[in-house]
Amino acid sequence: MFDFSIVTKWFDELLRVTCGLGNFSAILIECVLVGLIILIAYAVLAIILIFMERKVCAYFQCRIGPVRVGWWGTLQVLADVLKMLIKEIFIVDKADKLLYYLAPFLVIAASVGTFSFLPWNNGAHILDFNVGIFLVTAVSSIGVLGVFIAGWASNNKYSVLSAMRGAVQMISYELSLGLCLISAVILTGTMQISGIVEAQTGPWQWLIFQGHIPALLAFLVFCVAGNAEANRGPFDLAEAESELTAGYHTEYSGMGFGFYYLAEYLNLFVISGLATTVFLGGWAPVNIGVEAFDAVMDLIPGLFWFLAKTFFVVFLLMWIRWTFPRLRVDQILKLEWKYLMPLSLVILVLMTVCVAFGWTFTIA
Amino acid sequence: MKQIAKQVGDDYVIPTVCKLWADADLLEREVYDFYGVKFLGHPDMRRLYLRNDHKGYPLRKDYDMDPAKNMYSTDDDVELDTTTEWNLDKNGNLVATKHALFTSDDFVVNIGPQHPSTHGVLRLQTVLDGETIKRIYPHLGYIHRGIEKLSEGFTYPQTLALTDRMNYLSAMMHRHALVGVIEEGMGIELTDRIRYIRTIMDELQRIDNHLLYTSCCAQDLGALTAFLYGMRDREHVLNVMEETTGGRLIQNYYRIGGCQADIDPNFVSNVKKLCKYLRPMVQEYLDVFGDNVITHQRFEGIGPMGKDDCINYAVTGPAGRASGWRNDVRKYHPYAMYDKVDFEEVVLTHGDSMDRYYCHIQEIYQSLNIIEQLIDNIPEGDFYIKQKPIIKVPEGQWYFSVEGASGEFGAYLDSRGDKSAYRLKFRPMGLTLVGAMDKMLRGQKIADLVTTGAALDFVIPDIDR
Amino acid sequence: MENKQSYFGEVKSAFKTLALGMKVTMKEYFTPKSTEQYPENRKTTLHVAKRHRGRLVFKRDENENYKCTACTMCEKACPNGTIKILSEMVTNEETGRKKKQLLDYEYDLGDCMFCELCVNACNFDAIEFTNDFENAVFDRSKLVLHLDKEIYKGGSLPNLIEGGADWEVGTFNTKKK
Repeated sequence: MFDFSIVTKWFDELLRVTCGLGNFSAILIECVLVGLIILIAYAVLAIILIFMERKVCAYFQCRIGPVRVGWWGTLQVLADVLKMLIKEIFIVDKADKLLYYLAPFLVIAASVGTFSFLPWNNGAHILDFNVGIFLVTAVSSIGVLGVFIAGWASNNKYSVLSAMRGAVQMISYELSLGLCLISAVILTGTMQISGIVEAQTGPWQWLIFQGHIPALLAFLVFCVAGNAEANRGPFDLAEAESELTAGYHTEYSGMGFGFYYLAEYLNLFVISGLATTVFLGGWAPVNIGVEAFDAVMDLIPGLFWFLAKTFFVVFLLMWIRWTFPRLRVDQILKLEWKYLMPLSLVILVLMTVCVAFGWTFTIA
Repeated sequence: MKQIAKQVGDDYVIPTVCKLWADADLLEREVYDFYGVKFLGHPDMRRLYLRNDHKGYPLRKDYDMDPAKNMYSTDDDVELDTTTEWNLDKNGNLVATKHALFTSDDFVVNIGPQHPSTHGVLRLQTVLDGETIKRIYPHLGYIHRGIEKLSEGFTYPQTLALTDRMNYLSAMMHRHALVGVIEEGMGIELTDRIRYIRTIMDELQRIDNHLLYTSCCAQDLGALTAFLYGMRDREHVLNVMEETTGGRLIQNYYRIGGCQADIDPNFVSNVKKLCKYLRPMVQEYLDVFGDNVITHQRFEGIGPMGKDDCINYAVTGPAGRASGWRNDVRKYHPYAMYDKVDFEEVVLTHGDSMDRYYCHIQEIYQSLNIIEQLIDNIPEGDFYIKQKPIIKVPEGQWYFSVEGASGEFGAYLDSRGDKSAYRLKFRPMGLTLVGAMDKMLRGQKIADLVTTGAALDFVIPDIDR
Repeated sequence: MENKQSYFGEVKSAFKTLALGMKVTMKEYFTPKSTEQYPENRKTTLHVAKRHRGRLVFKRDENENYKCTACTMCEKACPNGTIKILSEMVTNEETGRKKKQLLDYEYDLGDCMFCELCVNACNFDAIEFTNDFENAVFDRSKLVLHLDKEIYKGGSLPNLIEGGADWEVGTFNTKKK
């Protein structure tokens, strides 16, 4: 498997040895570069995701989606971005100005923050702490703050209702989300994201195979809870277009709204990416234990595997979104506290038992 | 004609009946709005359709119609926080009692007039306690066009042009009621062919409405995909109708003494193909939306109304039949061919939004049954019985009601023998439905307001007229 | 509905309905789509019902003569005042009879509500609605048409008057060609 750290090491040496830069300037340049790459990847992925959502939802709905701007509608999203950029940004009368402006940045910060944790390839992870998984959940909860503040600061009754719904929902679902991640941590024995992926390389070593029943259940719960966490249908009742017009971002226009829009899609990607990382082996290729086949699979770069698996999960979530009606707020909480929470606790116990007795699936 | 209202000074008064029939609440306010008759003991005597700062009562015959005096004001309308109850004191004088609409710490949210799920410009002023509804005040008239007043100035054929524009999803039935009442007044005997065509068209329109209804239920619950499946199939129904009527929304097909044109040569075969196509599709809506566990969770027990209350609030149509009230005009006051065809009146028992939804679904099947019974047997004959160039209805009063897609739709005609009506009154289907929403929704969640509204099936231009 | 299922029974039946829904949407994902591509298909696969009311035109015989006698029945029948007829009395020199002659038949498409009352009122079969629907213009004044001055020849699209392309119940003309 190609190790991307060769490239990063080479670049580091290029700066330090060849160019003879000091520690500070070398790290500064590297940080700026990595930051740029993250933001560019973020924007490009957002465009791809929005386009994908439009096409996929159209196909589920017997339509063909955008076809006019660019070939097969490929430039539609760019046109939308352009429209959003030139829209007037208005300030709501009697809104809490500071919070009103702050909120979208919190949401986007949380989204970019979690985005940076994703392991793209062997050796290509930007943030890789020993408590990585833990930190991901911590950073992602900043997003709740953004939603809540936006609803409050907008001076709009719909927004307040939506903000309360959003906060309640996101805080509740973080529990199942966290518990599912913990069951993965139990199986792999590490909280470091690179370590978790490392544990899944090799034939049939993806966690959903390795941890069989409990891991599969955890994956499903993670998808449901993640969908709720990303505020997407059937859990989009913070946005609840037919009830609360647009919920917490009713009063935002232009790029303020654009940030929420971006964050929504990137959160979808981040959730799918995390599900991939933790349960579907991240960048680890499909290995089945037959040497020739595995060798060929190993030739395909990890980035491709990671993106393919992630987009597969994204498609699953879109399928769910475009099939089901929205739940009501009490039903969402009921689903979490009456069904998902107990289930994730059971999964946790099951997983612990499996690991303790060595009932995991491994071909050694 | 006898004058019912009693004169007190400059005012006219009638004792209220809204304690006997709850639906009289809005209807009496409408009378007050248009005629200035004050209802004694009615707790909420505000204008219903017109602006609060409107001067005069337009349906009175002495109302000054001078355009200069009826310019539309660009000022904001007066928002009333209080309402007035009128009573007679011992000496026979009118006394006003003020009632407050809200308490000072009420959390009031305006659902509408511009809101994605009110299906038009309906404004529901909703008093909330958190997400729980305490009270709903409907504000109507955002699309009030004064169709009844206009009709008094129009000749009879001209009034026809307006009925399609009330509930555009029941355009055929609306016009059926109006041509029905005029034909009854004139004593026109229709041919069987006309009756057959009208029945088939009414049922096609009903399918059209119910498809849109089931779709919109899905949309209001956020299931956009199920919405588009319904809209896709509704397109086929409209295509079939358009070949004959030339219209998709504004059908413009019936006229006094028959129909606008004969049926399209391919109409019979098209309708047969349509029926064949639609039956399996209805099951698809159920699969993807209607039988879904989330839909059941959202609909069951939501906006409940028992049979007694349905009668009390005059919740007619599928919404009332979902509570077990047998009220199908087609069954109990048959018109056109409805006494000759064999169909089942869909009556369910729970009276909640789920049963209202199922009632509509099953009515689609019933409508298909009716159409299939008639389509092969359309008799030969005239599609139009020639009328005099100037149509006059003899003196008298008539009422003709039809089963609209979402309730009873009636037309009342008071003729003085002229070429235009002295008074033409429509009984809208949606007004009583909206009037019942407050009763249905007290204590429920704000999300339930949206589902109940969707499941009731009202269309605003029909309420406002 | 009295739903007294067990905790797990509830979960099971819920899963069943959800799976059914997902099956239907996945099936629809692969069925042919229903989008008709209007501007592209306007000259090829577009179908417009023959009886669709697009605009009012004068019926003309093979010598392009119209039948209107300026009797103003249509003008009186119109609820909106869409039609305005100007006429003058002309004396026929051979017979010496006075006859009404049409000077201008003004029809405001922008005011018309397509109720067909004018056609019903006409005793001379002089006017009719066509299904020519592409009437959008940038200036409201261009919607005021003078039917006696124009000679209508079937609108902007080929075969439109006959209804355009064929059409079948339950299908959509989704192709561009």
